[in-house]
Amino acid sequence: MADDTEDVELDFAADEQERARRSAVIRHPLASFFHLFFRVVAIVAYLLSDWISENFASCFVLIITLLSFDFWSVKNVTGRLLVGLRWWNQIDEDGKSLWVFEAKKASRDNNIGTEAEARIFWLGLIICPLIWICFFFTSLFSLKIKWLSLVVASISLQAANLYGYLRCKAVGEDGQHADSFTGQHLLQRPDIIFGIL
Amino acid sequence: MADEANRQFAGLSDVSISEDIPVEGDISVPMGSSSSNRQRGEEDEFSTLDEPVKETILRDLRAVGSKFIHVLYPKRSSVLLRDWDLWGPLLLCVTLALLLQGGAADSEDQGGPQFAEVFVIVWFGSIIITLNSKLLGGTISFFQSLCVLGYCIMPLTAAMAVCRIVLVGGSGTVSFIVRLVVVTASFGWSTFASTAFLADNQPPGRKSLVVYPVFLFYFVIGWMVLTFSPSQ
Repeated sequence: MADDTEDVELDFAADEQERARRSAVIRHPLASFFHLFFRVVAIVAYLLSDWISENFASCFVLIITLLSFDFWSVKNVTGRLLVGLRWWNQIDEDGKSLWVFEAKKASRDNNIGTEAEARIFWLGLIICPLIWICFFFTSLFSLKIKWLSLVVASISLQAANLYGYLRCKAVGEDGQHADSFTGQHLLQRPDIIFGIL
Repeated sequence: MADEANRQFAGLSDVSISEDIPVEGDISVPMGSSSSNRQRGEEDEFSTLDEPVKETILRDLRAVGSKFIHVLYPKRSSVLLRDWDLWGPLLLCVTLALLLQGGAADSEDQGGPQFAEVFVIVWFGSIIITLNSKLLGGTISFFQSLCVLGYCIMPLTAAMAVCRIVLVGGSGTVSFIVRLVVVTASFGWSTFASTAFLADNQPPGRKSLVVYPVFLFYFVIGWMVLTFSPSQ
């Protein structure tokens, strides 16, 4: 049995750190920066494509490379750091394809992002595909067909992340526990797109 | 019998659970080795925030590299199928399109594979082949099929690189014959590799219906590779 008069070490330093962490406006500055960096630079590169290079191919490769980096970082890093959401696909032993959407429960010990970071995340996630859809129509109506292929590729890369994270948010808001097992219940709903995929 | 059972569980004899204490615990349902690894990995990756980014990058790069090796030796393996990814196909498509640049046919007023056309042919072709195999009742999923078709473009991309090197030496009959042999060999290799993965998932009797579009797809790409001529 513990002696009640024993000296107990009080760790104020850790408390200070905890409090600083909890009251910070942005807990993951690097993740927030990179979440927006690649997408915005890709859009700017598309708009300034005439100044960057005369060669269509190099512009295409540059924008697709930027958007691939963006896709990877948003899917694997910034989603779970800023809002605690994650989605992926796995193939089980029968060869069936399974899409898993996961939402982390908000609790005090979590290092998930603050409200400001969540706002950065969702705004960046939603506005950029909308801008690319505008580009789709401008290139369609100005009949610049080869730019259309670039815009379609960009839209598919950006919309994939948007759709995945919206599904994750739906999992989280259903109030169920955040684990992939219950995520599967939502996947068993008749869903035309993922039924094919 | 009862004595034996009691002896086996002798160590538990002083454990008693009263009726009104709720017994609770976590039951994690294993859905397969990959998912339970993920669940355990989830906790680790959520808690070690800075370290995994490099780990994740390296893991993805290693996965892509291992798939390239599996295309080189196409035997029945589940690596391409189980952990699909589309980074390899994207890289191969961009490489092929870049290698097909700078040809005599690349100017605006002539026909010939422009950059965006190669992209569109590869991805649209893959999507249509995948839809075809799914409509024929294949069990492979959409992205798995895209992954296989994309990775199996690798021999043709290598052939394109070889052709460009050969064309540096001149574009006479000899170089044409060399290029023809190389392109034909790589076309056969691509088709063989992809049908090794795709056709197995089909009910018998429909294999040729699935193989034929794949054949056509790689034939078109091989044709683009073979008919490439550098600008004078």
